[in-house]
Amino acid sequence: MKNTKLELSVGLFVVLGIAAIIYLTIQVGTGSMLSGDTYLIESRFANAGGLHSGSAVLLAGVTVGRVEGIRMEPSDYSAIVTLRVLSSLRLPTDSMASIKTTGLIGDKFVSLSPGADDTYLKSGSRITLTESAVDLESLIGKMAFGTVEKEKAQQDTK
Amino acid sequence: MRSFSLILTALALAHSHLSASTIDAEIFLKKAVTEVAHIADASENSSALASKVRPVLVNVISFELMTRRAVGLGWKKFNEAQIKEATDLFATLIIRTYSSKFTPGEFPEITYKPAILVAPERIEIPTRILYRGSQYEVIYRQEKSVDWRITDVVIEGVSLIATYRTQLDAQFKQGGAPAVIGALKKAVAIRQ
Repeated sequence: MKNTKLELSVGLFVVLGIAAIIYLTIQVGTGSMLSGDTYLIESRFANAGGLHSGSAVLLAGVTVGRVEGIRMEPSDYSAIVTLRVLSSLRLPTDSMASIKTTGLIGDKFVSLSPGADDTYLKSGSRITLTESAVDLESLIGKMAFGTVEKEKAQQDTK
Repeated sequence: MRSFSLILTALALAHSHLSASTIDAEIFLKKAVTEVAHIADASENSSALASKVRPVLVNVISFELMTRRAVGLGWKKFNEAQIKEATDLFATLIIRTYSSKFTPGEFPEITYKPAILVAPERIEIPTRILYRGSQYEVIYRQEKSVDWRITDVVIEGVSLIATYRTQLDAQFKQGGAPAVIGALKKAVAIRQ
């Protein structure tokens, strides 16, 4: 009888431990571990390449939120990124959101830069002053190989 | 049935209003860009271009809004005199910087893509510019207060406002408004 109780307790402990590990894995994976109240805002980007749900949202190098989701706006083929940020953070309406990279080839994150407006973004508001992910490969390609037009212009002058 | 017709009419009116806004903004941008390109084409050098193009640009670019946004949060601490001085310096800096990119006799080939209404009275017009054999993706951001004005230019994904905000915000944190004005004066002097 005593052994059964002990086995049950150990079993329950193991199950709770596994459940806690699964919960933490999901929370860390989706990046939703933000302490305190949060609210959602949207940002419109021409290119959100490399960004994913759970990517960090930083302001002055401090994590103030996470990317909640990314969807396509079919009317203009832009990417609408939903950001979950801390409620304590009041962002002026002319704040900017830029997609940056940690280091040269590191993870992408959203960098917020507060503006000077006297009005503030509310839950559900959209940041329209954005800077998309810079396509480094395409820029390097242009520098390295030039453009078709350039070569054509050079041929024309010969 | 009647309410359905009303909804359809309201939607149609809203759509026609949006279309009118985007068309106005597109016409405005095309006229402004063509005018600047013609001046650039006829100018003998970049300093002559900068002085010739300024009266045109002050009517098409909202330099005050651009400067305010380029400075960011610190702008609230500027007094009236500092706002005026910073705006004048920033306008001079932008005009001189971009004037130096033009070569007399070279006319850019610009392809305008459909305008995108990103918010009420805020529009983005993507363009593809072919200039001196190179191709650039340029987005013009425009806002309407009384008339349409250009408020930001995004070249190959890099925003003019974001670029300057990073630099000017750092200056403001070091020494407030005088540091921002000092940095702008230095930058203008270099481009003389």
